[in-house]
Amino acid sequence: MSGLAGHVCAIGAILALCAAAGFTASPALFARGAARAGERAAWSFCVGLLLIEGCVALALAVSLRPGWLAFLLLSGVAVLASRLLPALPQDGAPSALPPSPRSRLCRAAFLCLAVAGALLYLLRALTEPMWAADFLAIWGWKGKVLFGAGTLPDWMWRMPAFGFTHPEYPVGLPLIDAGIAFLIGSFDDHAMALLDPALQVGTLCLLWGWLRRRGVPPAVSLGASAALALFEPLYSAFTTGMADVPLSSFLLLLGTSMVDALAEEPGALRRLILAAAGAALLKNEGLLAAAAVAGLSLAAGRARWPARARAAVAALLPAAAVLGCHRLWRGALPLRDFRLGLLVGSDFPARFELGLRTIVDEAILPAAPGLAAFGLLVWAGRRAPAGDRLLALAGILVAIYAALPSLCVWGPEWLVRTAFARTAAALAPLAAAGTALRLSSVFWSSGESSGSAAGRAA
Amino acid sequence: MRLRRGVCLAAFTVLLLVLLVSNRPSEIARRLRRIVRGARLELAVRRLEGSSAAFDRRYFYFLESARRRLPPGARGVAVRVPNPSEAYRDLAAYQFAPVPALLEPPSVPDGWLLAVFGPERPEGWREISSVAGGALLARGP
Repeated sequence: MSGLAGHVCAIGAILALCAAAGFTASPALFARGAARAGERAAWSFCVGLLLIEGCVALALAVSLRPGWLAFLLLSGVAVLASRLLPALPQDGAPSALPPSPRSRLCRAAFLCLAVAGALLYLLRALTEPMWAADFLAIWGWKGKVLFGAGTLPDWMWRMPAFGFTHPEYPVGLPLIDAGIAFLIGSFDDHAMALLDPALQVGTLCLLWGWLRRRGVPPAVSLGASAALALFEPLYSAFTTGMADVPLSSFLLLLGTSMVDALAEEPGALRRLILAAAGAALLKNEGLLAAAAVAGLSLAAGRARWPARARAAVAALLPAAAVLGCHRLWRGALPLRDFRLGLLVGSDFPARFELGLRTIVDEAILPAAPGLAAFGLLVWAGRRAPAGDRLLALAGILVAIYAALPSLCVWGPEWLVRTAFARTAAALAPLAAAGTALRLSSVFWSSGESSGSAAGRAA
Repeated sequence: MRLRRGVCLAAFTVLLLVLLVSNRPSEIARRLRRIVRGARLELAVRRLEGSSAAFDRRYFYFLESARRRLPPGARGVAVRVPNPSEAYRDLAAYQFAPVPALLEPPSVPDGWLLAVFGPERPEGWREISSVAGGALLARGP
């Protein structure tokens, strides 16, 4: 086997191995019997990706060429560390009542749609080498430089002429791309597109597993997964290779672990720490999300105060540590597209209004039928604190994304046209999870599911 | 409760339909054919035929040709094109990576080569290699 097929298989094997490495370290994250298989698999994969990022960053920092030895060593350290952490108390596995025959039909249909969505994205992602302008100029370029140079070349961050590559952006995704390339021995920017469909599958597994653990009926959990799998604005050929798909996975990890931490579930704080670090490593929006999680946790009225404070610290500290590491490595780099001074300019109200008008014209109106249907689903659902927190997190981030264009030095319209739709689309997993939780009680009474975890959805 | 469930089912059906109609069968077939045909081709040929080179395929051919002729240890490449744009800049930077490459820099850093797309040969530069659609030049008489 050679060419594309050979490299796709090799990268698939590497991603499976990285999930296996994450799996061996994951007992520190979940109480025994607490996680559903899907949820555990998704966490394992994302922990594995963090291991790849870590091994490349550490090896390059000490002037070694990253490779299998560094990856296996770091994986071993992670497994050892997970065994040294205090064991988590055992939690009862949620039990489910047998589903009704009508529900079985629904489940089969939704499962088929979810699989179709995943296959369609695989097809879109692998049609051709990754091509988005931001992949060429930012994410892929940095990964290719790190792999090709085998060092951390200073000129990447220091030469002002390379400002268009956004040296101020976090380096998580370039580290993953370079890490995969170091492991297979070449930078194949076509086969490497497999990473994003793999992340999509991980996100779907997490969504399904987490919703089931919280007692959401199987048909509703699968329906949410099917809708997410088919969500083309996020899972498109264009977004493949950029940081939006990886960030969407980590945002769901972040949101779900926030909810779990506020419910004081064993291991949730550890998960929250990893998710916040992973999100902040991928994109500046991940940093914003960690801050939003901290704020939401502090404001979560129904949770106990110590749980709220612990969750806020667990979200903020790793994000701040990631920011600090970037600062130590590259120094303070200004945000190229934004100027905070615009906030106090006399034309700020006009810029703000122009940004919102452009969002309505170019992002909301073209998607009106889908957005209206989504709004109706949220409205028709019932209050569920866990779901409402996830929707609040997505809402806060959308509000920030909507306000940011007014601070853009290239004009509000430019930022809305180039980034708003895809950054907002990365919130789809959070929206799907939150909405499914709200719908849980609407469909729960049909006797589809219950068990010990059912009450958690409420 | 039945009304609420009905509203949910109707809204979810609309949502699924909206999501499904974005997948045209003709596009799926086109993508499948392209993967099957491209799987046997070299990676650079797949990129040449892909979206990133669609704005000027001759330019990609030039870049790839120049990249293959870069002398070992090249410190950087300045690229000159007749009608520079962001698309030309991004593709040049990506294609030459890990060697730093800039499009039309105000001044070419010392030790860098010049890759000219087109017939122009600037003064003070000598041709070290002829490449498809242009030339690779080094500073000197």
